[in-house]
Amino acid sequence: MTSLPPDSTTQLETPPLPGTHITHEDIDRARDRQRVVAARAGRGFFPRARLLWLLVGPGILVMLGENDGPSMVSYAATGARFGVGFFVPFIVLTFVMAIVVQEMTVRLGSATHRGHAELIFARFGPFWGWFAMLDLLLGNFLTLVAEFIAVRAGLGFFGVPPWLAVLIALLILVLALVTHRYWTWERITLAAAGLNLIFIPVALLTHPDWHAFARALGTWQPFPRGGLTQATLIIILSNIGATVTPWMLFFQQSATVDKGLTRRDIGFGRFDTVLGAALATAAALATVLCTTPLFHHQMSVENFQGAEFAQALQPIIGRLGASLFALGIVEAGIVASITISISSAYAFGEVTRRPHSLNLPINQGKGFYAVLLLCATAAAALVLIPGLPLVSVILIVNVIAVLAMPPALIFLYMLVNDREIMGDLVSPRWANLLTTSVVILLTAAGVLFGVSVIAPNLFARLSGH
Amino acid sequence: MTRNDHIPEPENSQDSFVTTVLEPDQLSEAHKRPVPRRQLRGPLLLVLWLMRIYLLFMIAVVVYQVWSGLH
Repeated sequence: MTSLPPDSTTQLETPPLPGTHITHEDIDRARDRQRVVAARAGRGFFPRARLLWLLVGPGILVMLGENDGPSMVSYAATGARFGVGFFVPFIVLTFVMAIVVQEMTVRLGSATHRGHAELIFARFGPFWGWFAMLDLLLGNFLTLVAEFIAVRAGLGFFGVPPWLAVLIALLILVLALVTHRYWTWERITLAAAGLNLIFIPVALLTHPDWHAFARALGTWQPFPRGGLTQATLIIILSNIGATVTPWMLFFQQSATVDKGLTRRDIGFGRFDTVLGAALATAAALATVLCTTPLFHHQMSVENFQGAEFAQALQPIIGRLGASLFALGIVEAGIVASITISISSAYAFGEVTRRPHSLNLPINQGKGFYAVLLLCATAAAALVLIPGLPLVSVILIVNVIAVLAMPPALIFLYMLVNDREIMGDLVSPRWANLLTTSVVILLTAAGVLFGVSVIAPNLFARLSGH
Repeated sequence: MTRNDHIPEPENSQDSFVTTVLEPDQLSEAHKRPVPRRQLRGPLLLVLWLMRIYLLFMIAVVVYQVWSGLH
């Protein structure tokens, strides 16, 4: 048997060096790939289904991982403040944007076998590379803080004290890593991420108005009362930031490389991404439906962190429904704290040229695991500081993610159109058009937000309110 | 056609098993091979700088908003 032939040549494709040193990481990855090759050799439904099972992972993880603590709080706030209307199709649109963006990372990772940070540093040099890294690390750290706030708030519903809540989250993060095997870690985290769908049965308990839901999907109506205000803009930005963020680019590309996907697997990688987006959209819309009864009761939710939504919903959906909602917030925070801290560790390893893989034994990947745990522990500790403005952190995290996205997308756009590293997998014209549209939309949303902060009365004057 | 017809046993020769199953660029050692630098000039460089200025300005806006919100 020979290795899979590449479809075209790029500057990165070269034969192995004589006397190449094979590492533990290579052996683990080869074992995973061996199963893929065996499944691909089979014919019929079951081998194809097995192949799909072996190749999915990064796409579902990144999409459900981005349905994180602050995202679920944003969706809950959307439902409670605006009910079913404009934001229902808007959320679907944001996930379509996420598919457009994340598909590029699958191609990039499969074609080059290099992580996102590594390629930015290599192709554009350390000056631009460090800018991209600073954006990533700052955004990731703030988001991690928000994840632990969500875990703390969610477990607080069950009476768990804050210190114990963040300790439980940290322990789960460590437990997912102890196997030091990418495949096992991916399956454990996927199982945990599946709990994100818990919001669907909770939504059903609220007896949603499906007619209004379908009408909103088709017409984008009703538009938020009061028109385009700063509060509405923040929710718009929060919902975009709940779906497309820089860490997702870095994570999915690095996970694609760590999993060992190749050019032949790109179709499956795309399916994985679309499936993840579909599941995440379902969970996001369910969360909006969950809190829509609070909109009908005209309840003020401005300072809600997650658990308060569960408490407010308890008279409507009962203790069980409220508990499931709180559990969903906890799950969202824990899964995202795992994926986000791993994206930081991947990027750090790629930039410092240290080993960076979830297949590394602890003694060979000390730096990788140390960065991962350091980021998570620091964020967890920060959440315990008394008097920290937790609600502001949650709201700001998604806004910063949207603002940091256009520069990150420009790097991605340049890399994925770089024929020297991509060969014939460069983006087609239609994909570039879609990406450009996403960049323009995100930049416009950011500029509108900036204008609303600098001139808060401008929108009110323009809309005649 | 059985699975063993296609895939070498890892126990026989681990190194050859790995180099057979993985593409050359998937080996961890391949990451030591540098990727050539791309020259940035003209419109590309301008776009990167514009995006950098945009981000710095917007972060200042966010900091101002948080500060005014807390006071």
